[in-house]
Amino acid sequence: MSSPVPQPRLRVPRIAQDAVDRARLTVVPRTRSRAPRVPFVTLVTVVLVGGIVGLLLFNTSLQQASFAAASLEQQADALAAREQTLRMELDELRNPQRVASEAQEMGMVIPTAPVFLHLGDGEVSGVRAPATPADALRLQPKAPVLPAVLAPPATVVEVPAAPEPAAPSGRDRVRRGDRANSARR
Amino acid sequence: MPSTDRSRRRGATRGAPLVRLRVGFVVIAMVLSFFGARLVQLQGMDPRSYASMAAAEGAVEVPLLAERGDILDRNGIPLADSIQGKMVWADPTLTEDEAPEIARLLSDRLGIDYFRTLEALRGRKDGSQFEYVARRVPSTLATDTVAELEGLGYEGVGLEDDPIRDYPAGDVAANIVGYMGTDEPLGGLERTFDAQLAGTDGVATWQSNSRKGVRIPLRESTIEAPVDGEPLRTTIDRDLQWFTQKVLAQAVDRYRGESGAAVVLDTRTGDVLALADVPTFDANEPTEAREEDLGARSMNLAYEPGSVEKVLTVAALIDAGKSFPRQRFKVPSSLMRQDRPIGDWFDHGTIRLTLAGILAKSSNIGTVLAADAFTPVQLVDYLQRFGLGRRTDIGVRGESPGILGAGEVMTSQAKDRVAFGQSLSVNVVQMAAAVNTIANDGVRVDPSLISGSATTDEGVVVGTDVATRTRVVSRRAAQGTARMMERVLDPEDGVAPAAAVPGYLVAGKTGTAQRVDPECACYRGTSVSFGGFAPADDARFTVYVVVHAPQVDGGGGSIAGPVFSRIMGYVLGRYGVPPTGGTPSRLPVEW
Repeated sequence: MSSPVPQPRLRVPRIAQDAVDRARLTVVPRTRSRAPRVPFVTLVTVVLVGGIVGLLLFNTSLQQASFAAASLEQQADALAAREQTLRMELDELRNPQRVASEAQEMGMVIPTAPVFLHLGDGEVSGVRAPATPADALRLQPKAPVLPAVLAPPATVVEVPAAPEPAAPSGRDRVRRGDRANSARR
Repeated sequence: MPSTDRSRRRGATRGAPLVRLRVGFVVIAMVLSFFGARLVQLQGMDPRSYASMAAAEGAVEVPLLAERGDILDRNGIPLADSIQGKMVWADPTLTEDEAPEIARLLSDRLGIDYFRTLEALRGRKDGSQFEYVARRVPSTLATDTVAELEGLGYEGVGLEDDPIRDYPAGDVAANIVGYMGTDEPLGGLERTFDAQLAGTDGVATWQSNSRKGVRIPLRESTIEAPVDGEPLRTTIDRDLQWFTQKVLAQAVDRYRGESGAAVVLDTRTGDVLALADVPTFDANEPTEAREEDLGARSMNLAYEPGSVEKVLTVAALIDAGKSFPRQRFKVPSSLMRQDRPIGDWFDHGTIRLTLAGILAKSSNIGTVLAADAFTPVQLVDYLQRFGLGRRTDIGVRGESPGILGAGEVMTSQAKDRVAFGQSLSVNVVQMAAAVNTIANDGVRVDPSLISGSATTDEGVVVGTDVATRTRVVSRRAAQGTARMMERVLDPEDGVAPAAAVPGYLVAGKTGTAQRVDPECACYRGTSVSFGGFAPADDARFTVYVVVHAPQVDGGGGSIAGPVFSRIMGYVLGRYGVPPTGGTPSRLPVEW
């Protein structure tokens, strides 16, 4: 079934003939780029190589840092342990038992009652009593008493006294003289 | 055409293209189906085991041990602290051949037994690859020793973290602080507050490709940080605790007592400044002590307090308005009560004593006569308010609540005995807190051993934060009782002049109680004690001392009194409490 109306499309070319003529495609003349290619290629190569080398260096330095971190950590551990050992020694030095033993060896005694000196007026309150060795504390517990089975009485052997020689013999005297001489020398 | 010839020739050697194509497809299909089967095997059958095998390849897993919290005294000085240590282990497959040389060096450096080391290095079992050589070696010593071994070319000895629990002051407060077993706490605060002290271990994993465990960067690594234990702060004063232990030990030894205990309380706050037990033990070497010495007898052992309890009876009588310090009593030589006579510790005819005199001379008969104004219910009610018969809950394990019978079922004979301190039992801190109530103007402060607050393994919250104050007797009654207690130390009228501290007003009370021997379940021996406070007119410290079963004749005044005096003198000086300069009590003891 065809339409009785003439196709409007057919009229268009006639109206815009000039424009159509002008718009006709022609081959663009081939132009050669004058820009040199070498720098670009070099740039790309440099970026690529630089990237790869950089990555490699970065990786290496990471590894290095990791080793350094491990050794520093070890060092830190060792130092921390050392610090703790020193602190333990310090605590042992501050042990009241040790301090008291040292003080007692120097002849110090903990007094039975305190006496106060008031700095404002120089007055003394409290009873002034000398601290005597009797006030000293016994710092070490007594050695445990052993049962009789384990602590038998000491065996005493009485040796009869040898008869005293009446006078030193001549030989003795000589020897004694020798010794004195050698000592003097 | 020459080209056609060539291709035909080639075709002859390789076969027709179609055939080639088919053969190729078959080969490819076979290879792919192998891949497919392997894929199903890896992913479908047991993917996890392969994944973990892959992860374990080169993986390093290091446990990060939490540091156990310190136990501190009131000034922050550690009573127990943790330091880094190492366990030394050996791989016998590597050490067997050179065992004697390695053992010699190890035993020299670490101070361990040579033969046991040798045994470990040779392997206690066949084919063993891990043997403990030494545990809890100080870290520096262990690393130095192993480095030395490696320098000499010996292999197969390694180290592992193993924290050391150290008690720097040895036996100071050991009975309270407790001690550690190989891996777990076995007693005292260590065990009671283990949940707080222990902390939680963490773990670190990373990928490594070297023997020293250097981690591979940018590979998976995880750290689960350990949570260190919380320190536990006590109210103990370490130096005072040490002094108390030494003085007490000297007395127990001198009077050949079975055991002894002493406690120092801060009157106003109820802080336990010292809680000493004798015999004690070195917390660093608990295995060398007798097992029965490892606990805190001061808290676990209930005993009859004897005459020290009279001050509670007397304070209660004055508070109830049933007596007063100058009230006069005729005290007979012996008092018949129902079936049994009550006697005094000293022989006397009928003497005329005031209430103050009854306390100063510690007369049982007088106390019973005075306490006749009370019914059993009234007396027991007062004693309960003083804190007797219930736990103090200061945080010491296995505390005995003591025994105080109910007033409703108490016979009058039992009440008479309770009035002078027999037929009831207490622990040391209970009794000290009761005496402290008199010192603190009649207000009882809960004693506390833990500074702040902490939760025990039984779920009880203890500490200074939860200590409460309750008024037990009036201020007037407490001060009246304190004035009477001063007379106890009077050189002429009192029984305990040896407890005096030169220059200070001191109030106190002796106790010489019959002691229940658990073996025969009868009274045998005595418990001698002294409780008191100073300065009497403005009390700052309460000290209570008890010596059980002394084998030398003596009473509370002569055995426990000097110990009290020494400790009180020291604590007053240590905390800088000068004498108050108050006038001594002149209450008459006789009329």
